[in-house]
Order: sequence, then C-alpha cells, then structure tokens
Amino acid sequence: MSTATTTKAPELREQRQSLLRRIAWGRVGAYALLGFFAVIYLGPLLMLVNTSLKTMPDFMKSATALPTSLNFQNFVEAWTKANFLRYMTNTLLYTVAATSIYIVTAVFVAFPISRGYIKGAGWLLTLYVIALFLPVALIPQFQLILNLGLYNNPFGYVMLFLVNPIGVVILVNYIKTLPLELDEAAAMDGCGYFRFVTMIVFPLIQPAIATVAVLHAIGIWNELILPTIYLTNKDYYPITRGMIVFQGVYGSNWPTLAAAVLIMTLPMLILFLVLQRYIVSGLTAGAVKG
Amino acid sequence: MNNYHFGRGRARLAPYLLLLPGFLFYVVIMLGPAIATGAYSFTDASGIQGTTVNWIGLENYREFLFMGQASLDNYAALWRTLIFAFSVTSIQFTLGLILAMLVNQRLKGVNVFRTIFFMPVILGAVIQGLIWSLFLYPLGGPLASLLGVFGVRSEFLGGQPSEAIAWVIFVQIWANLGVTMMIFIAGLQTIPEDLYEGARMDGANAWQMFRNVTWPLLTPSVNTNLLLNIIGSLQAWQLFLVLLGYRNGTQVLGYLIFAQGFGQTSGSVTSAFRQGYAASASIVLFCLVLVIGLPVQYYLQRREKRVLG
Repeated sequence: MSTATTTKAPELREQRQSLLRRIAWGRVGAYALLGFFAVIYLGPLLMLVNTSLKTMPDFMKSATALPTSLNFQNFVEAWTKANFLRYMTNTLLYTVAATSIYIVTAVFVAFPISRGYIKGAGWLLTLYVIALFLPVALIPQFQLILNLGLYNNPFGYVMLFLVNPIGVVILVNYIKTLPLELDEAAAMDGCGYFRFVTMIVFPLIQPAIATVAVLHAIGIWNELILPTIYLTNKDYYPITRGMIVFQGVYGSNWPTLAAAVLIMTLPMLILFLVLQRYIVSGLTAGAVKG
Repeated sequence: MNNYHFGRGRARLAPYLLLLPGFLFYVVIMLGPAIATGAYSFTDASGIQGTTVNWIGLENYREFLFMGQASLDNYAALWRTLIFAFSVTSIQFTLGLILAMLVNQRLKGVNVFRTIFFMPVILGAVIQGLIWSLFLYPLGGPLASLLGVFGVRSEFLGGQPSEAIAWVIFVQIWANLGVTMMIFIAGLQTIPEDLYEGARMDGANAWQMFRNVTWPLLTPSVNTNLLLNIIGSLQAWQLFLVLLGYRNGTQVLGYLIFAQGFGQTSGSVTSAFRQGYAASASIVLFCLVLVIGLPVQYYLQRREKRVLG
C-alpha cells in the first residue's frame, strides 16, 4: 500500500496542481465578471454622490472629476426648495395606511381560500392568479374614481392600493404550511373564527405577512403613474411626483438634482439593507415549487 | 367543506363575511375595471367629468388599426413594444442565469454581490431613471468621457430614437436583473449537491453538468422567469416616461395608452383624454400579451411535464 502511494505521489501532486490552477483561474474569471457587473451597478450611484457634492461651476468644468471641496449646499437647497418633507410625509402616510388595510383584508381572503372553508375556494384562487394577465385597468379605474368624486383626493388615491393579487397567492401558499389540527384544537376550546384568525393565524404567518407587506409598500412608495393621473394638488403629491416636478424645475442643475435624488434614495437603501430577506422572498415566492 | 370547525348556522357565515372587504376591493379596483376596459373600448369616453359617453362600436379599433398616419404610428409603437420585450426578456434571462450561477458558488463575498445586483429593484423607476440620466449625461458624464477616449461621441438618451430605446432597454434590464437572478438562485438551491457529485464521478465536465443536471432541474425557475419577463416587459413603459419623456418615435404601447388617455400627445395626433380610444389600445396590448403569453405558458408547462415527469 505504502509503496503504491509513494510511486503515484508525484503524478497525483501534478494532477492536483493542475486542478488547483484551473480552479484558481475559474475563480479569477468569476470575480472579474462579478467585478465588471458591480461597476455597472455601483458606478451610477457613485456618480450621483460625487455630483451631489459639487458646485454647479465645478460640474460644468468637468462632470466626472472629484469635487475640489465638499459642498453640502446642494442638500440644503434641495431639501428647502423641493418641499421634500411634505412629499415624504405624504408618501409615508399613503404607504402605511394602504399597506395596513390591505394586509388585514388580504389575510381574511387568503385564510379561507387556503383552508377550503368557503365554497368555490379553488375558483377564487384562480381569479387572483390570472391577475397577471389582465388588461391595463387604468381607464375604467379613472372613470370610477372620477364618478365617486374621489379624483384629486388622498382617500381615493389610497383606495387604489388596497389590492395586490400576488400577495394573496403568497399568503395562501404559506397558510397551507400551518397544521389543520391547529384549527380543530382551537375550535374545540371554543375559539371563534374571527378570534382564531386574528389571535392565532396572524402571529403564526408573520414571515409571510412581512414579505407581502414589504413588497406592497415598495410598490406604493415607488409609484409614479397613479399620482400623475389622480393627484393635481401639490399638497397631496407623494415623493415620486414631487421629484419629477423638481426635475422639471432643476433639470439642468445636476448637483442640486443629484442631492435631491440622493435624499430620496437613502431611506430606501437603508430599508433595503435591513429588510432584504423579506424583499427577496417576496419577489421570488412561488418561483420554485416545493 | 365539511372540515369547518368554527360552528354552524350563522357562525358558518363568518369566513364569507370577513372575506368580503378584501374581495370587493379586488373586484372594484382591479378585476372589474380590467374587464370594463373591453366595454370602454367601444365608446368615446373622454375622462372629462360631465360629458356623455356614447357607444361607437368598433370605431376606436378602426381608427387604431386602419386610419392613415395615426395607425402607422400605432403599428410602429406595437413593433417597438415587441422589440423592447424580446430584447429585455432574452438578455435579462441569460444574464440573470449567469449571475445566479456565479453568486451561487462558494466564493468569498458573493452575498455582497447579490445585494449589489438586487439593489436597483427597490429604487423604483423615478430614481432608476434619474440616476442613469446623470450617468449618461452627454456633456462630459462618465460614459461620455469613457467613450471620448476612443473618439466616440454620443447623445445617449437624446440621440436617435433607436439609440434612445436601446438605452431604455439597458436601464430596464439593469433595474430588474436582480429579480431574475434571485429567482434562479432560489431554483439552484433546490438542486441537491450529490447530483453534481455523481456527475463529477462519472467524469462529466462543467458544460455537461449544466446541460444534464442544472438546466433540467431549473425548469420551474426558468418558466417563472420567462413568463414574468415576457409579460412584464410587454407592459413596461415607466422608464420610457422618466428617461425620454414624450418623444416622437420612441413610444411603446403602454406609453401610448397613458398618452392618449390622460392628455399627452402621441404619434402625429394631438389628443386630450381620449379614454375610449386608449381603452382600445389597452385591449390591443392585452391581446398581444395573450397571443405571446399563452402559447409560451402552454409550451413551458408541457416541457416541465416532460422534463420533471
């Protein structure tokens, strides 16, 4: 045995070395490719930060050069001139109100569908699944809001965000993982339906709720088309619409505009880093059948 | 049905009553309007309060498809939509798969890369658009400077329509690649490691392992990604709005619906709030989604049955 290994040792070592070399090259290639993409992804953000710290003459002289001195004036100007506090408060209110109402109503839709506690549960689920294919509902939706007298009205605007079919589908799938015995045991103890859903189901499906809530909230936060269509009063503008208006006024003043974009980006980036897990699971839910 | 434990009689109604608000929201705000789009497409609805709505039959479709310059503009928009959707879907799908396989390796720092590639997804069209408008600043912006080294000059978003659209395609992919990548990663992680071990023992090379292990077992993620990308890109137009604004020769169908229905000029026809007409454009887009989406869905499902049994 020992002689066999010693005779083969050099050959083996050579084999392993060539293998190592190949793996190392594969690694270098992988990192090179990842690095290339990282530059495409981070470059625009770095440019944004760089521009926001420059003065307009600096920017005119060379758009890409580093700022000669740190200049935070752009942020002050953007914050005061853009009415950002107002827009951000609006966005926050819309997002929180619509997401909370949506989540509560969605769980009460998803739970009986998932459990088969209502007639036609399967059909109902299909109705939610086909939403992906539905035609753009913008026109009749607009007519509806107009006729309800909710045009240019924050309540009407929030109403538009009380729906998210994918969220319901995610919840239905998650509730299926709860054991049925839970329902039986609770009912045996005299727990009613409403109390069961609110006191027992809600806490148990928190991961799914977090996922759906974050997904829904991001959609509201970033929405641009609906505020453009439905809100004409500047006092009601969310941050997205406010940003577009600001761009219209400061379009050529990139340092100030960049500062404004950065002010709008930062809360999202921070939230993203904190909630990344939920965002990812929300966007990939249902992609892989278990 | 028989397994309901929370009482009988009136108590049996509880799940129905509590489901009602959520379901009503869905019907009133999304499902109903989506279906009503069909009805509106046969009217001259204007979107101005107090004006009467008249039934005009197929007039909107006749105008959309067969009336002179306007319909030629519409066909151009339809063609652009197809090119946009095809480019976005094929590139995003391929790059998403490559990136997913790269960051699914046991390499240091892959989590950081994952986060970086996924980041734009949460920023939304406004920030995505403005960030790239700055990066593509034609007067000495980063890319302009880089190309300047090679003596190439470009107006980027302000250039020829075809070039402007190419940049929108680029930003669209940049913005959504992370979702495609994450869905592929989720799929890759369901593939058991011992299958690769076995293949390696049998002397399979990297390509053979991809061809015979990864690709077939990735079928669910492949299907999801293809379908989401196709439908999403056919309906996408927000980045056109932010990056290009209204510009001749660059609209896609989604933008055309918005422009016609909510008072922006589109094509060679100046319009204000032509909502009936916009509804007919929505139905044309809907048909496009069905004509492309359903056969793809059918084919993918058959393939999944064949591959995964």
